[in-house]
Amino acid sequence: MHLFSAMASLKVTLVGMLLLAVGSMLTYGGDTGFSVWVLILPMLLLAVNLASAIATNRKINRQPGLLLFHLSLLSLVIVIAVGRLAHLDAQVEIVVGQSFDPSHLVELQQGPWHVGDLNEISFLQGPYGISYEPGVQRGATASQIGLLDEKGQFSEEIIVGDDTPLIFGDYRLYTSFNKGYSVILEWLPNEGGSYTGSVNMPSFPLNDYRQKNEWTPPGSDTTIKFWLKLENEYNKDDYWTLSMANSSGVLVVTVDDMRVELEEGESLQFDDGQLKYNELTMWMGYTIFYDPTLRWLFFISTFGVLGLGWHLWSRADRLLGKNFDNETKRGVN
Amino acid sequence: MALAAELPWLWGSLLALALATGAAIWGMIPRYSGDGVLIEPPSTNRIESLVLWSLLLSIVLMTIAMGVRWDRVGNGPFVSLFELLMSQIWSLSIFYAVIYWRAPSLRGTSVIVFPALWVLGSWVLILDPVASFYPTTYYNNWKWAHVIFGKIFLGAALFGVGLAGIVLLRQTRFASVFSRMPSSEVLDHIAWRFMMLALIFDSLMLIAGAVWAQDAWGRYWQWDELETSSFLNWLYLGAIIHLRMTYRIPLPIGAWLVIGVFVFAFLTYFGAPYFSASAHKGVV
Repeated sequence: MHLFSAMASLKVTLVGMLLLAVGSMLTYGGDTGFSVWVLILPMLLLAVNLASAIATNRKINRQPGLLLFHLSLLSLVIVIAVGRLAHLDAQVEIVVGQSFDPSHLVELQQGPWHVGDLNEISFLQGPYGISYEPGVQRGATASQIGLLDEKGQFSEEIIVGDDTPLIFGDYRLYTSFNKGYSVILEWLPNEGGSYTGSVNMPSFPLNDYRQKNEWTPPGSDTTIKFWLKLENEYNKDDYWTLSMANSSGVLVVTVDDMRVELEEGESLQFDDGQLKYNELTMWMGYTIFYDPTLRWLFFISTFGVLGLGWHLWSRADRLLGKNFDNETKRGVN
Repeated sequence: MALAAELPWLWGSLLALALATGAAIWGMIPRYSGDGVLIEPPSTNRIESLVLWSLLLSIVLMTIAMGVRWDRVGNGPFVSLFELLMSQIWSLSIFYAVIYWRAPSLRGTSVIVFPALWVLGSWVLILDPVASFYPTTYYNNWKWAHVIFGKIFLGAALFGVGLAGIVLLRQTRFASVFSRMPSSEVLDHIAWRFMMLALIFDSLMLIAGAVWAQDAWGRYWQWDELETSSFLNWLYLGAIIHLRMTYRIPLPIGAWLVIGVFVFAFLTYFGAPYFSASAHKGVV
């Protein structure tokens, strides 16, 4: 009990806050090399201090507003921890005309308690347009999405982008700055069959002059280098729109000393097969975010502040009410 | 080069603020009789009316300046430092005008608050009123909640500076200037009430900002420079409120702690974008 009371001390609160401030400064701006524990440990200390204070400090547990505020703070720490344990963050690139495939996720980070089912996410990427302002400043993004039903059939078209994420349960997909061109290629091996796939070029217009990638066809030892020579001129000092309607270009194919320019529909014969450049299209990069506690965080934090407001309001006559000036003349208490 | 349409209105607003500032200071200058006895200024009410009406005129002119700029550049005062300073002068003036009107006994705080406003007023005068790019994420409606809560927080913090400033000036040879105001204990008490108010609106600002960030950038919190600075500001505010509850703090130290809230908020709001290449990651 003595330890319990000691942990409830306001002095412990101050020490915890100081340690948390130091931890925040050590990690200021991110990627400083300090472990995230410089934040977690002070928060744990504050959580224990807060729980003890709520249980033992009458100034807190006898005043409903303050009690609500401090309970909310404690709940926030717990819910944030649960959220981090259950979270998922990832990136995915989806080519126009193709559907979302969970196996294509990159930069995947997820907590050990992540129980979400990525198969909940089911949609077809449609064409998109992004308006740019002078100085290549990215403006509004409008990405057409075809929602699919349980059978994988198209059911509804929606537009997402900027502040409008694509939401599936607790999964939220955000369009990102990462997007660009993609070439649809078909590989026809000499022994028969065909393989169709896409090769995504680097993000555009970020890598305007580096629209290069390479690919080794299935069953082949040849690594083919591609350069997408775009013919869509845009003026960096003017307004323009990035969309397929405004895009065209030829695909420069290079293998060793051979360099060939292919238009859409053209083919190139290799020793072990034929490469066909089917079409130029685009890909969109999405940031995937999963945290089932988002709503709870909002409601808990809002109720906490309401509690603090309630506490202050009970003394508000002297702060903002009609007797404000009289009280200040007399002296408030 | 053509003059930006909002500039005459801005200058008019600052001129009116200068009149309010001058009148406020003039009204507080102690008058002595021939034998050195402090006498009550004869026209206090008229001077205070002049201060209040000048301040209101300044607010009206700043409102017009902001509206004219909004019409010229096509977006509200949310992006460039020039328009952010205008917006802050405007909202802080409104917050203080309400207090000036409601609490005549605390009007002496104007000799601290107005010069503090002039830090912003002087700054805006040397900036280029050029229009800046308006990110699409700024069309989110949560921006309004975030901004309004932030303005109330900063207003409460600024008034705290006014009260704390009087407490500190009373430690100097200017003590007699504020003899008509409530005792330092009362001012200190009110200042801490406003710190509580500041804590509430700082918290609301962070909540609204987190919702906006989730919608706009796909994460509610990322410990970027501006978020971390804001959190440290909130933590500082919470810590000094607990400190005051835990210890009997001498009035001057308490006053400096209260001033620290505004200074911290000022550095966060206007400073972080200077030492951070991307104050908010993914802002554009």
